[in-house]
Amino acid sequence: MAAAESPSAALRRRDLCSRGIRLAGKMRADVVDLLDAYVEQQGLDASASVAAMEGVPLAAVERWDEQTGTQRLLENLAAYRAFRTLLAQMLEEQREQLGEADAGLGRALAAVLLQVSAFAYHLEELLRLESRGIPGEEGDGPPPPPRLSLFEQKLRGLGVLRELAQWAVRSVRDLRQLGKPSSAAGTAPGLAESP
Amino acid sequence: MCSMFSRWNWVACGFYLVLNICSPDASGGLVQSCGHIIPESPVLALGSNFTALCILNESCLDFGNIYASQIIWKIKNKLVPKEQYREINRTVSSVTFNDTSSLATPLTCNILADGQIEQNIYGITVTVGLAPEKPKNLSCIVHQESVLTYVMNCTWNPGRHTFLDTQFRLRHSWPEEIFPDCIPKDVNNSCTITDIQFFVNTEIWVEATNALGKAESDPLVVDPIDIVKPLSPQNVSVSSGVLPTVLQLCWVNWISDAVMMLKFNIRYRIVGETNWMEVPSEDTASTRTSFIVQGLRPYTEYAFSIRCMKEDGVGYWSDWSEEKTGMTTASHSPAFWTVHLLWKALKPFEANGVILQYEVTIRDKSSPSSPVKKYNVTSTNHTLQLREGTYEVTLVARNSVGSSPPSVLLIPASNSKAPVKNLRTLPKHDKLWVGWTAPNSYVLKYVIEWCLVSSSSDCIIEWQIALGGVQGVDLKGIKPFKCYLITVYPLYADGQGSGQSVKAYLKQDRPSKGPTVQTKKVGKAEAVLTWNHLTVEEQNGFIRNYTILYKTIDGNETVVTVDPSKTEYTLSSLTSDTLYTVRMMASTDNGSRTGPDFTFTTQKFGKGEIEAIVVPVCLAFLLIVLLGVLFCFNKRDLIKKHIWPIVPDPSKSNIAQWSPQVPAKHNFSSKDQTYPEGSFTDVSVVEIEADDKKSFSEQDLKPFDLLKKEKSTSEGHSSGIGGSSCMSSPRQSVSDSDEGDTTQNTSSTVQYSTVVLNGYRDQTPVQVFSRSESTQPLLDSEERSEDHAGGADSTAQRQQYFRQNGGQDETNTDRPCFERTKQITHANEGDLVGFVQLQISGQSSQPLGLGMEKNTQEAAVSNVLQTCTEGQTVRPETVEENPLSVDEMPKSYLPQTVRQGGYMPQ
Repeated sequence: MAAAESPSAALRRRDLCSRGIRLAGKMRADVVDLLDAYVEQQGLDASASVAAMEGVPLAAVERWDEQTGTQRLLENLAAYRAFRTLLAQMLEEQREQLGEADAGLGRALAAVLLQVSAFAYHLEELLRLESRGIPGEEGDGPPPPPRLSLFEQKLRGLGVLRELAQWAVRSVRDLRQLGKPSSAAGTAPGLAESP
Repeated sequence: MCSMFSRWNWVACGFYLVLNICSPDASGGLVQSCGHIIPESPVLALGSNFTALCILNESCLDFGNIYASQIIWKIKNKLVPKEQYREINRTVSSVTFNDTSSLATPLTCNILADGQIEQNIYGITVTVGLAPEKPKNLSCIVHQESVLTYVMNCTWNPGRHTFLDTQFRLRHSWPEEIFPDCIPKDVNNSCTITDIQFFVNTEIWVEATNALGKAESDPLVVDPIDIVKPLSPQNVSVSSGVLPTVLQLCWVNWISDAVMMLKFNIRYRIVGETNWMEVPSEDTASTRTSFIVQGLRPYTEYAFSIRCMKEDGVGYWSDWSEEKTGMTTASHSPAFWTVHLLWKALKPFEANGVILQYEVTIRDKSSPSSPVKKYNVTSTNHTLQLREGTYEVTLVARNSVGSSPPSVLLIPASNSKAPVKNLRTLPKHDKLWVGWTAPNSYVLKYVIEWCLVSSSSDCIIEWQIALGGVQGVDLKGIKPFKCYLITVYPLYADGQGSGQSVKAYLKQDRPSKGPTVQTKKVGKAEAVLTWNHLTVEEQNGFIRNYTILYKTIDGNETVVTVDPSKTEYTLSSLTSDTLYTVRMMASTDNGSRTGPDFTFTTQKFGKGEIEAIVVPVCLAFLLIVLLGVLFCFNKRDLIKKHIWPIVPDPSKSNIAQWSPQVPAKHNFSSKDQTYPEGSFTDVSVVEIEADDKKSFSEQDLKPFDLLKKEKSTSEGHSSGIGGSSCMSSPRQSVSDSDEGDTTQNTSSTVQYSTVVLNGYRDQTPVQVFSRSESTQPLLDSEERSEDHAGGADSTAQRQQYFRQNGGQDETNTDRPCFERTKQITHANEGDLVGFVQLQISGQSSQPLGLGMEKNTQEAAVSNVLQTCTEGQTVRPETVEENPLSVDEMPKSYLPQTVRQGGYMPQ
């Protein structure tokens, strides 16, 4: 498939991948910074372990190196769409809890939310280039989670940010695989490349 | 309304109309105007045509015979030409302007009543302007404001002036996200967006809007990362490197690698100069935080400045950083020698006039190609800086007429050539003759230097030159009694030879003072004397020797002559503890002078004598002390008994239970025998006393003696606090127990009762029980009863003993035994009722054995061991053999019968 695409499409694809890789890299850096601020501001323990939560996509995947390019894109897209919803929800909760008390955290959260949106757009563009249909967003997204207590909200936020940081790493690797000239969307790429 | 007025009252009515028009509420208020203009307050494009209509109200037509034909139009106060009017009907008049640029505010519609009186009907404000032009030249720069903050500033050309209120807004969006607009404040050509996201292509455009229309610029599609102007590197520091030609720059980048990689420009200049030099850009084309600038001048201060931009060159350079300076180190050790040239002025008859100047010419003979340096000097000295090498210095004196012949001096790289030999001096009246033997090589000249040697100031050199053939000169102006240092240098054709020096006096005298002597160290038979050399001014001549004169108060004076180079001398063979007087004399060829007396007393004891006495005494004392301590240690128990008698601790009292089948063969006192066998129990108070007369071992056995005493005197008794355990027969035990039950709750005294069964000695084994009636808990009590395995017959000897809990350490043999027993006790608590228990409560078998004969002790230990190893094999049937009930045998008073191989039922 990659061989069949026009030079301009290949260029566009490479540009999207390269930009996406850098976006994911910056997103990770920003999320890591945000995590620190979040933990401090919410009074959480940085080493607190958070169990896997429903609705938070997990970055860990088995047989990563056997995935096809399309599979990667679709999984990434689904994840970042989910993160977009989760982060928007966090932002809303943040505003409810703190109002304008900690505008810095809110701004950082909004910035990461924007990056997640942008990354999702990158992924959609890449899927378009591969002539793949873009899965529609499921209505208003996943059903809203049950009303959580304040502490549960905080923990959930921590979990979301941690997982997003993991996803950012994975996405860099995914896009690197996709950006390889030899990689075709429908075929599984070769061995895993270290991020 | 106006009908009541006469025609002559039109003026007043006209004012009224004007008021109506001027009133903002005229159209819909209390009053009604006679007409209005359409459009109301239009905004018109400049240069367009415009038509306005003035519409008269019907009501006014009847009132004042007012018709559209009477309408006149005015701009401000200027009448609009009637050609532009058009009467549409009798109430409507229009006016048309082909170019709105001729318009002004207000445009009024007026009536010319009766052809004379002009009345204003209505007026409008006309605004003329232009529609906004399409903004052009939109460009944006992302400025980094801090480590994490970036803002995007966009500027554009807003186009022509519109004369209208025109709003500009900067818009930016992603394909799926439109961000809030940026509205410029106070300006119309720039705006700053604060929330910038990198790595996404962003579409940016400007919208201009006013009443006449809206215009949009061409969109600018850019990834903000490509238009970043980063902050310049911060905290730039300059440090000198190992090499003298390098300086190391260090800085901090304020943009993280996750955002962008950087490349740099480094410029530098020598402080004080204006021209900048730049490090080749290819050397700094990657992200870094330090750089070593090379090829600098040593020992020079440089100023540095750095800027950075995105590594791929897309974007903008940062500003130059603040200048930082650093200095390179010195390159080498000094490369120059400072040479002072001195010459003598010509005498007047030689000068042939006034010497105007001297010309010094320096020629580097080691590199003939180097240029000759010339200096014009007016004084008789000159200072040069020369590198290592051979130089030829030529000196020419100039007067007004011409130059003197040159005087040439060769400065060699090193003065290693042969010196003169056999340098000597000889006073000749008031002159000092200096003679030498010429070296083997041909000598052009000799330079003779001399100076007055002084301890307080430098040598002031005087010199003169002698020709090569001369081998001696007279030095004039030499003072007597002063020391002169005279040096002679031979000058060869190719350089200067080494100097040869000699000290000389024109005339000598005896020293002006004698040396001051003192002792450095005084011993029993010797003393070390020291003194300082006389200064050169005090010597007045060459010191030939020192003489030391010393004597006791009443003894003869001893004289010792010492070499003049020495400053120390040791007097030996002195008498101890004696006062000596010593003085010293310095001698020249012309006499001597003695210094002040110095007295000292030799010591009474020599070195080490005191130590030889003190050390043995101390050692002997220590030995005695040690022996005393050892003796006390050996007799510590005896001493302990005297000082701290053993007071039994009731909390560590024990109850020993045994069946005195056969009395042990231990050292019971003879009282044992005096009591009749089978005598019944009695109660007595045991008093424990230390018995000095008993042997050491007996002291240890005191508890057993007490037991023996109990047994022998009463066959059973109770003891008070601190008493020993008691024995009792089963029956008696029951009886006592009953009694104990009655008294236990009321009595606070501690009573141990013992009931001893009849048949104390050499009897068949009987059960013996002991119990306590004490209300005190039996803490750490120890019971032990051991059978003697020595007798194989049926009348196996059993030895009972009692010991106090001495708190001795447990032994390994006992501990497991105890633990196992405890475990069994715990596990089979019910079953074990009636069992013979071996309880060793934290006690050692070793102290137990102390109460026995040696063989007994060994037997007991072995027995215990066997018990330990086999004690677990308790068979349930033994329970049946136990004749005692639970009530009769409380666990803590269980009679214990231990046999080889296990617990013995009673």
